[in-house]
Amino acid sequence: MSAVGKGTPRIDAVSRVSGAATYSGDVRLPNMLHARVLRSPHPHARIIAIRTAKALALAGVRGILTHQNCGVAWSSGDSRNIRYLFNNPVRFAGDAVAAVAAISPYVAEDALQLIEVEYEELPFVLEAEAALAAGAVAVQPGGNLSPDDKGVREPETYRRGDVAQGFAASYRVFEDRYTSAHVNNAQMERRVSLAAWDGGRLTVYASTQGISNCQRDLAADLKLPVENVRVVCQFMGGGFGNKNQSHDFDLMAALLARETGAPVRIELTRKEDYVAVHGRWPTTQYYKVGVASDGTLKAIQLRGYSGMGPHRKGSGAISGPELYQCPHVETTVSPVYTNTAVAANYRAPSFPQGVFAIESLMDVVASELAIDPLEFRLKNVTRKYQDEVPYTSYGLEECLRRGAAAFDWKTRRRPNAADAGPVKRGCGMAMASFHSRVGRSSAVVRLDGAGRYWVHVGVTDVGGGAKTTMALIAADALDVPLEAITVVSGDTDRCPYSVGESGSRTTNFTGQAVIEAAKDLRRQMADKGRPTGDAVLIGSATPDPKIEKAVRHSFAAHFVEVAVDVELGSMRVLKYVAAHDSGRIVNPLTAASQVRGGVTMGLGMALHEQLLYDRRSGIPLNAGYYGARVMTHMDAPEIEVIFVETEDQYGPFGAKTLGEPPIIPSVAAVANAFFNATGRRIKDLPMSRERILEALA
Amino acid sequence: MSDVSRREFLESTAAAVTAAAALPALPAELGASAQAAAVVRTPVTLTVNGRQHRVEIEDRSTLAEAIRDQLGLTGTKIGCDRGECGACTVLLDGSPIYACSYLAVWANGSRVETVEGLAQRGGLHPLQKSFIEHDAPQCGFCTSGQLMSAKALLAVNPHPSADQVRSALTGNLCRCSNYNHYVRAVVAAGAATPGPPGPAALTGEPR
Repeated sequence: MSAVGKGTPRIDAVSRVSGAATYSGDVRLPNMLHARVLRSPHPHARIIAIRTAKALALAGVRGILTHQNCGVAWSSGDSRNIRYLFNNPVRFAGDAVAAVAAISPYVAEDALQLIEVEYEELPFVLEAEAALAAGAVAVQPGGNLSPDDKGVREPETYRRGDVAQGFAASYRVFEDRYTSAHVNNAQMERRVSLAAWDGGRLTVYASTQGISNCQRDLAADLKLPVENVRVVCQFMGGGFGNKNQSHDFDLMAALLARETGAPVRIELTRKEDYVAVHGRWPTTQYYKVGVASDGTLKAIQLRGYSGMGPHRKGSGAISGPELYQCPHVETTVSPVYTNTAVAANYRAPSFPQGVFAIESLMDVVASELAIDPLEFRLKNVTRKYQDEVPYTSYGLEECLRRGAAAFDWKTRRRPNAADAGPVKRGCGMAMASFHSRVGRSSAVVRLDGAGRYWVHVGVTDVGGGAKTTMALIAADALDVPLEAITVVSGDTDRCPYSVGESGSRTTNFTGQAVIEAAKDLRRQMADKGRPTGDAVLIGSATPDPKIEKAVRHSFAAHFVEVAVDVELGSMRVLKYVAAHDSGRIVNPLTAASQVRGGVTMGLGMALHEQLLYDRRSGIPLNAGYYGARVMTHMDAPEIEVIFVETEDQYGPFGAKTLGEPPIIPSVAAVANAFFNATGRRIKDLPMSRERILEALA
Repeated sequence: MSDVSRREFLESTAAAVTAAAALPALPAELGASAQAAAVVRTPVTLTVNGRQHRVEIEDRSTLAEAIRDQLGLTGTKIGCDRGECGACTVLLDGSPIYACSYLAVWANGSRVETVEGLAQRGGLHPLQKSFIEHDAPQCGFCTSGQLMSAKALLAVNPHPSADQVRSALTGNLCRCSNYNHYVRAVVAAGAATPGPPGPAALTGEPR
C-alpha cells in the first residue's frame, strides 16, 4: 500500500490548468437554443395576468413557459409543499415567472422584456420571528412554522435530562441572543443546464454535485423511467451544497427542449445565483447555559428560529450543543417560511451559525468564571455523542491540545483588551464535531487485456478531488501503481449509482465501494487469471456499510489571532491554526486545500457576507460578489493545517469526513478573538465594520 | 434602463467594475416596451494565442463571449459576466483584462492570450506546472483567470513576493478559497525562474 497517505497532485490536474476541462457550461450542441428566466420583482404577489404574445412574436423566440402552460412540480425544491416551476402566487423577489427559449441569449433576454405581467402585490414578511407573530401574513397555506416530516407543526425538539433541574442546580446561569445572516454559496460556476431529447430519452448536461440524484429527481418530476434520463457532468465549478439535486432550470431546459424540438441551454446570471437558487439559512438563537462553580456544564437550552425563505428545501436545523457533555440539554428549533430567497444547504448547513452562538456563549462563561477558554473546553468537551453513543474514533481532545501547542495559545493569548493603542490584538478558539450523513454507493472496476484498470464511479468531483481520491483508493486496493488506473466518472450512462457529493460522504461511501469492487476483481483474477487480448474482467460492489452502536464524527479545533483597528472598525486575521481529525488522510495535498478553503469561506461569513434586504420593498440589495464582499486574495490569511490522524475502522483505509468541517469553527473563533482583543462581544453576523464600531461605541 | 442597449451600457461604464452594482436587480425591472434591436455585426481581426482570426462579431458580444462561442476556446470562463470575479481574465496586448466587460469589437487588431496559449509545443508553462504541484485549483473554474493574471505579473515582476502576488491577483476570486495555494504556486514559479528581478513592482490591476 503506497498511494493512500501521500500528497498526490490531482489525476486531472493538467485539464484543470490548460483550459481543456469540459465543464457543463462548455458543452455546445448543434442548433441549441438559449433560455432565460423572468423573475418576480415582488417578494409576494398574485399574478393576475401574463401576456406572452409580444414576446412570442419576436423573431428568434421559440418557446415560452409560464404557470399557465406548465404545471410541472419540482419535487426537490420543497419537501413540504408542492413547488411548481412557476408558482402563483410568487413568494420571493426572484421567484420564476416565465422561461423563454430563443436562438440566442440576447434574443431570450429581449423577449423577457416583452412579457407583460400584472401583479397584485401582497403583504410580505422577511424575518423568521416576525413571521411567527400573530397576524403575520401566511407565506404558505397553513402558516409559517414549517411542519416536521410527519406534517405536525411543532418546532424540532431534542431533550436529554431536565433543563429546569439543571438550571436549578447551577452556580450561575448565562443567557444571550445571537443572530446569523443569509449568506450565499456563491460558487464560481454559475448554474447551467443543457437538455437534449433523442426520441423519448433525455440527456442533461448539468452542473450537479450528484449525477445519480439529479437523474432520479428529473425522471420522477418528468414522469420518465430512470433509464430514459442521462445526466452528464464531467467537471463542475463548485457548489458547496447548492447543486445537490436536480434544479428547476434543469426541468425548464428539458421542457423547453421537448416543446421546441431543439437542445436548450439555460445559464443563470450571477444575480440569479444569489437570489433564485439558495444560500445558508439565517438564524436567531436564544441560548441559556447553566454551570457549576468549577466550570462543569449543568444545562444547555437553545430556542432557535431559521428563516427558510418560502420553501422547505433544507432542514433548518441548528447545530452546536453536540460539542459539549452536559446532563441536561433541550433544543427547540423552528424552521420558518419567509418571503426571502430560499435557504438550504451550504457547506455544513446547520453548523457555522450554530457553533458561532454556542461557542460565543461558552467563551463568556469561561471568561466570567476566570477559566482559560481552552481549559474550559478540555473540561466540558464531548467524549460520547450526546453523552451516550461512542464515537467510532475520537481525536477532538488531541485537536485541542496539538492546535493550541502549534498556536502557542498559552503565551499568545493575553487577558481581554490588553492592548492600549488603537490596534488591539486578541486570540480566540472554537471547535467542531461533524456527523457526516449516511448513504450508499456502487463501483465497477474493469480490467482489460492491456492491463489497465477502469474505475467506474458516479462521482462528479465538486473540487474536493474525488476523482483522485477514488484513484488512490483503487490503486491501493488493487495494489497497482496509480498510473495503471483510469477513473470514469460524471456520466450516468457509464457509472453506477453514487451518493451525491454532499454531506461529505464520497470518500466514505464511494471509496468503500471501490475497495469492495477491487476485492471482487482480485477474487476473479485469482480464479481466472488476468484477461488477455479483447477479454475483460469486471469486479463490482454495492456495499451497505453499517456502523453498530457508534457514530462517526469528524472533529476540529481552530485557533485565531486577529488585529482590530478600533478607529477604522476593521478586523484582520494575523494567525490561524486549524487542527482536524478526519481519520486517516487519503491525500494530504488536496486535504490541506479543503481545510484552507473552508476556513477562508468561514472568515468571509464571519466578517463580511450577508444578503441584505430592503425592508420596505422586500427586494435584495446586494446580490453578487461585490455586494456580498466575498473573500479575496488580499483578505485571505495564511492558514496552518494540522491533521490528527485517528484510524477509523469503518472508513476506507481509516478515513473519515473532511469536506464540510473546516468552515464550522472559524466564525466562532473570530468572534471570540474579537472579544479577547476588545473586551466587547459582537452577537450578530457578519461582524462588519458598522457592527465593530457599534460594539466599541 | 429600458432604452439603454448592452453596448451603450458597457461603453458608458468603461469601469464596469464600479458600475456592476447599478445593474438592474432582475430582468423584470427592465421596461416591458423594449424591442429587440436589429443584430449588427462587424468584421473583426483578432490574434488569439498567435493565430489570426477574422470573424463577424455581434456588436453587443463581449470579448469573453467571442472567445468562447465563436472561437470555441472555452478555457476562458465567465463567472459573473459583470466584472466582479476575474474568471474571464485574458491578456490583451499583454495586459490582463476582464473579457466579460470588454466588447469584442474593441479588441479589433489586438493580440489576445488565453489559457489555451500557455502551454508551448506540448510542454506546460512553469506557472501551470507550479499550479499542479501546489494543488492551486480545487474546482478549477477560476484557474484560467488566476493563471493569466499571474502571467501578466511575472512579465513585469519575475520574482514576486507573496504580498505582491496577492495584490496582483486580488481581482481573481476563488470561492473554493484556495488563495494560500495560488499564492504559493505563483511565488514558487517566480522563484524557479532564472534571471534578475524585473523592472517594476507590479501591475496586476485589470484596466
